[in-house]
Amino acid sequence: MWQIIKNEGYFLSRSRTLLGTSLAFLLMLFLTLFLGHQQTQQQTQAYQTAKDHLRAQWEGIKEMNPHGAAHYGTYVFKPANLLGSLDEGVNTVTGNVLRVEGHVQNEIVHSEASQMQSISKFGKLKSSLLLQFIVPLLLIFLAFHTVSSEKQSGRLKLLVLQGAKPFSLIFAKTLAIWSYGLLLLMAVLLVYTLFNFQNLDAEVLTRSVLFFLSYALYYFILTGLTVFFSSRWQNATVALTSMLGIWIVWTIFLPNILMSSVEKWHPLPSRNEFKTAMKEDRSKGLDGHNPTDERKKELEEATLKEYEVDSLSQLPINFDGLLMQADEEYGNQVWDKHFGQLRTVLTQQKQSLQLGGSINPFIALQNASRGFAASDNLHHQEFLVQVEQFRRVFIKALNDKHAYGGSKTGDWGWKADNAFFKSIPDFKYQPITLASVFSHYVLDLAILMLWSILTVVLLILGARKMQIV
Amino acid sequence: MIRLQDVHKSFKGNPAIQNLTLQVEKGEILGLLGANGAGKSTTINMLLGFLSPDSGSVSIKQLDATQRASEVRQLVGYIPENVNLYSYLTGVENLDYFCRLAGLRYAKKELEDVLTTCGLQSEAHHQKVANYSKGMRQKVGIAIAYAKKAEVYLLDEPASGLDPLASNELSDLLKKLASEGATILMASHDIFRVREVCHRIGILKKGTLIKEIRSDAISASELEQLYLEFMKN
Repeated sequence: MWQIIKNEGYFLSRSRTLLGTSLAFLLMLFLTLFLGHQQTQQQTQAYQTAKDHLRAQWEGIKEMNPHGAAHYGTYVFKPANLLGSLDEGVNTVTGNVLRVEGHVQNEIVHSEASQMQSISKFGKLKSSLLLQFIVPLLLIFLAFHTVSSEKQSGRLKLLVLQGAKPFSLIFAKTLAIWSYGLLLLMAVLLVYTLFNFQNLDAEVLTRSVLFFLSYALYYFILTGLTVFFSSRWQNATVALTSMLGIWIVWTIFLPNILMSSVEKWHPLPSRNEFKTAMKEDRSKGLDGHNPTDERKKELEEATLKEYEVDSLSQLPINFDGLLMQADEEYGNQVWDKHFGQLRTVLTQQKQSLQLGGSINPFIALQNASRGFAASDNLHHQEFLVQVEQFRRVFIKALNDKHAYGGSKTGDWGWKADNAFFKSIPDFKYQPITLASVFSHYVLDLAILMLWSILTVVLLILGARKMQIV
Repeated sequence: MIRLQDVHKSFKGNPAIQNLTLQVEKGEILGLLGANGAGKSTTINMLLGFLSPDSGSVSIKQLDATQRASEVRQLVGYIPENVNLYSYLTGVENLDYFCRLAGLRYAKKELEDVLTTCGLQSEAHHQKVANYSKGMRQKVGIAIAYAKKAEVYLLDEPASGLDPLASNELSDLLKKLASEGATILMASHDIFRVREVCHRIGILKKGTLIKEIRSDAISASELEQLYLEFMKN
């Protein structure tokens, strides 16, 4: 088998067309990785500058009413993941900046898609485009005639006569062409490592390994299936047409069909429905700016009873702060309810889509690629949750200061000092642990492995049924 | 060495070989003459174990070609009408690759010697096969069988498309191999070449061996006359 792999290696290394294609690919790859790296660096730098500026502004507040500060709010930025330059995933459409303030959970804004003047339907050239579409096509074009050409030329007979076993022959050819795909992957890894050498750590390296493992498995499946068709059909054109048909179904039709089906099985509310439902639920609760609210009365009575006084003016604290915090907490419950439902639907959608990988390994690849590159919806939702947790702590600190800082009810002119504002911690994103990411995407890896095993089985069957004459 | 006994073979009900019995002894060259579709290639494919007879027996060196195909193939060198080599490899590299598949490892010098023995000029040894003529490729094909130390050579139209000089060189080589003890079965429709090279000649028509004669018992023109008569009737 090694001899056949070596011979295929000679073919690949001595083909000028392939050499030219490989060089063009590597050039494009270098360019996309460079641009991706530059974008990540610029984004990280820009966000850091903006973050520092905002923090300096916050810490520069000499005196301000805490509730005024809650409306003043702050911004948090979604950190760019190092592997994001390999697969941008949902990041291009989800946005990166979130305004944090009192009373309201804002939506994330400033997505790349919303900023760009799109001149092409296919968007810009990205590493993921090369890895998920261009390399597989290259592998299909390399593999489709690999066995059928041996048949058509009559060389297959000679090879078998010399002792080559049909399975060894087609498996070795699969391995040889797959190795070419692996070489391209290794080139990606090398260039990526060179660009990000200073920022690499164990987590990023492990994610990279899992990222490349997913691609390696997918490339094996595609190469093996193409070689299988090549061994099955006498005519190379039929093998190419069959495989291109499968590739088109896998990459274009099935993902769209599956996504549409998944959305139908687990429908998400429209943005308008979601906001209206949140607003309705929230309107039933307390409103810090609405003195007629019944819940306000309940809180007022409970507070007066607790402090054993008859009126708000007799309270040693500022009731407005308590009222606003109670409103926040009710709002938080509303958010938890709706956002929780949203997350449940998103989880159901993700699980259904993952199962779709059993009929389409491309979906399993896309899931794993985005997951390990931290550019998937899981990471995005986690960011939103962490921001909301931060917002709650942030606003509670301000409301508590308003309530217990020394002012009295109705005293909107009272101001907290600079030391208080400095004491409020800034937002710090805690990345999802690798174990958690792995647990979410182990199914996709398992599906890719199962497909790989199925491919080997097909190659065995292909070898058994291969017609030598 | 080569034996076919009462062999029948048909494809989808159409008989390709009927009641074929023939044998080729060690050091002997048998030429099978016949038009296209006469059953020459089917006979060779059965001897190679790629096709099994519907009835009768096919054996090489007393090994059943169907049941013990892999053992039979180790004994056989096969030279097709068109030896398709890997165009991106040189003559030496092609020979080396096919030898290694057969589990044989030769030094570069030994490979060059085999090619020279089989008539390939030394200046062509390290040229890419893409630049070879058909005759040169046939010589590498013979070298592959020769390097395998094949005891039996099965040739399917080996001189087809070769220029007279290359064809003559091929004839000399086959005679040399036979004189060294090789058993050769050559299928062809080149009457003159078969008459010149082979010890015995069989004429196949529609899968049936209709005539078997010794080549020294018949002149080239008589053989041509005989062949044309059989083909017409």
